[in-house]
Amino acid sequence: MNKWHKMKRTDLQKFVSRLAEKWEVWVPYRADGKWEFGIYDAMKDLDFPESIIHVSLKSLFFPKRRPVAKYEEDSKWSLQAVVPEDRPRIVIGLHPCDVAGIEYMDKVFLKSEHKDAMYEAERERTMLIGMICSEMEDNCHCTDRGLAPDSTRGMDVAFVEADDHYLFKSMTDRGKQVMQSEYLKEVDEKPEKKEWPAGKYAIASPEEFMEMYDDKIWHELSDICLTCGICTYACPTCVCFLVTDEKFKGKGERVTVWDSCQLQSYSRMAGGHNTRKTPASRVRNRTLDKFAYSHLRYGQISCTGCGRCVMVCPLKRSFPQLGARLSERIEEKKKGKAKAGTRSKEA
Amino acid sequence: MTTIELVPKPATIKKVIEESRDVKSYVLQMNRAQKMAARPGQFVEVSVQGFGEATFAVTRTAKDKTDFTISVKRMGHLTKMLHRAAPGDVVGVRGPYGNSFPVDAWKGNGIVVIGGGIGLAPLRPVIDHILQHRTNFGKLEIIFGARTPDDILYKEDLRIWENDKSIALHTTIDVPFEGWSGRVGVVPVVVKDLAPRPDNKIAIVCGPPIMIKFTAAALRELKWPGNRVYTTLEMKMQCGIGQCGRCNIGEKFICKDGPVFSLDQIPEHAL
Repeated sequence: MNKWHKMKRTDLQKFVSRLAEKWEVWVPYRADGKWEFGIYDAMKDLDFPESIIHVSLKSLFFPKRRPVAKYEEDSKWSLQAVVPEDRPRIVIGLHPCDVAGIEYMDKVFLKSEHKDAMYEAERERTMLIGMICSEMEDNCHCTDRGLAPDSTRGMDVAFVEADDHYLFKSMTDRGKQVMQSEYLKEVDEKPEKKEWPAGKYAIASPEEFMEMYDDKIWHELSDICLTCGICTYACPTCVCFLVTDEKFKGKGERVTVWDSCQLQSYSRMAGGHNTRKTPASRVRNRTLDKFAYSHLRYGQISCTGCGRCVMVCPLKRSFPQLGARLSERIEEKKKGKAKAGTRSKEA
Repeated sequence: MTTIELVPKPATIKKVIEESRDVKSYVLQMNRAQKMAARPGQFVEVSVQGFGEATFAVTRTAKDKTDFTISVKRMGHLTKMLHRAAPGDVVGVRGPYGNSFPVDAWKGNGIVVIGGGIGLAPLRPVIDHILQHRTNFGKLEIIFGARTPDDILYKEDLRIWENDKSIALHTTIDVPFEGWSGRVGVVPVVVKDLAPRPDNKIAIVCGPPIMIKFTAAALRELKWPGNRVYTTLEMKMQCGIGQCGRCNIGEKFICKDGPVFSLDQIPEHAL
């Protein structure tokens, strides 16, 4: 029976330094009050936030700018595919909502007729040592999205903060590789089970969202959105991209770069035709993509409840609020209909 | 060796055909002797190194599948570069991608092909298929509209189709033009005038977005059921494999679930 293992807090840095001898290790670091994953540096103090890491780890698997091929500018055709990275890597300290984001990216890039070999290589080379959350922050609402802050699904190893120590447990065969450590001692102790509260952003069902396509509310919602697109960059499941060629000093690269459905240029075609010219049409597209289209495509909505879009929104009012407002409207409509139904019966 | 789907394979331009004032066709052959077996309605991503890539319908496939043709209207950066290309030049090709016109399921039906401008390009393989399997299909009617006589594409094909007794060809231009004695009027109006009947027939429509929209409306008026009218949607595709996100209509991706749809498969607002 696989048991939890105890690690002294003071041993954590030693443990990670040992891992870094063999693996490329990524851990969260704080800069200007924000947590972001970076390559482990033995000279820097190691610490883990109790909850959300502000910058999602999407870019570790699907970088903002990603060369897929290289070419010599002075040739007519010399395009050569790049070789995907295969150095083994460990990411330590991601949370259950981060795993949910990765699971969604897997659906886009791997469960496809033409899978993305570069994404696959990043997944294959990476062991996930996930951290169970000890609290939910203000914008956290994974519990509204069918997830739990203490879920260990998809992690190779899970760990959690206990009183004066950490508890670690391997969840996969891959994870067992790091459990053979002088810093880990098998114990009978288990992480404390907690009751998690609901978030602030409960939403209607995907089917109900689909009914709202022609509703007037999109104009109301687009009035409170700048369609600046920052939410899409912060979102762990927004993986839309552009394919383009970039040249510098005679060397060229074909790259994928993150794109955003909130920007007008995203849907503009050669010749100027644009299928989503108005802010309302773009806000509708993203809201429905998050809460309905994703479900119809992949059986999973593409909001993990991480709340990062709210943190980065210049108006602090992003898609969770839009989704919640829309869901209110759905309720209002239902009640209206029920009422109308009653009246018509009476008449 | 891993294959990165987004990296194109080289193809050589065998022939350039000047179709109209702003459209050229390119006959392409894959460099490593790969065949290109595109079904009618499928598309490819074509790259010019240093200028990126864009989506083009395969407008003709050689019988032995060793070469294929795309038609390119000069619109933006990439198409401008393609228009400078000459036989012997190398471009990149990915694909073919997407679904196709269900020509096998249409056996026994008459086919009405309705094309506007460059929109005839993805429909031409259907015409080719019908002509190669002539006895499998009923009457073939082709309605082709261009802005001006100078915008008429595939002139050689039009001559052949004109002389083919089994084809009723109607070529029209949008507005009167000096020296043009043929039909004048935009495609949706011509469709209403000709009033093709839907019985045992399939209509396929492609052209600029506005043309598709009004032609679809004209056919609906003529009582064509949505499942007998097909279109191929010219929305902005990029990756071609259902990942970059931009060509969606609701939950569907045009590049992956389409580009061929019957009208009853897509909401009216998507046209």
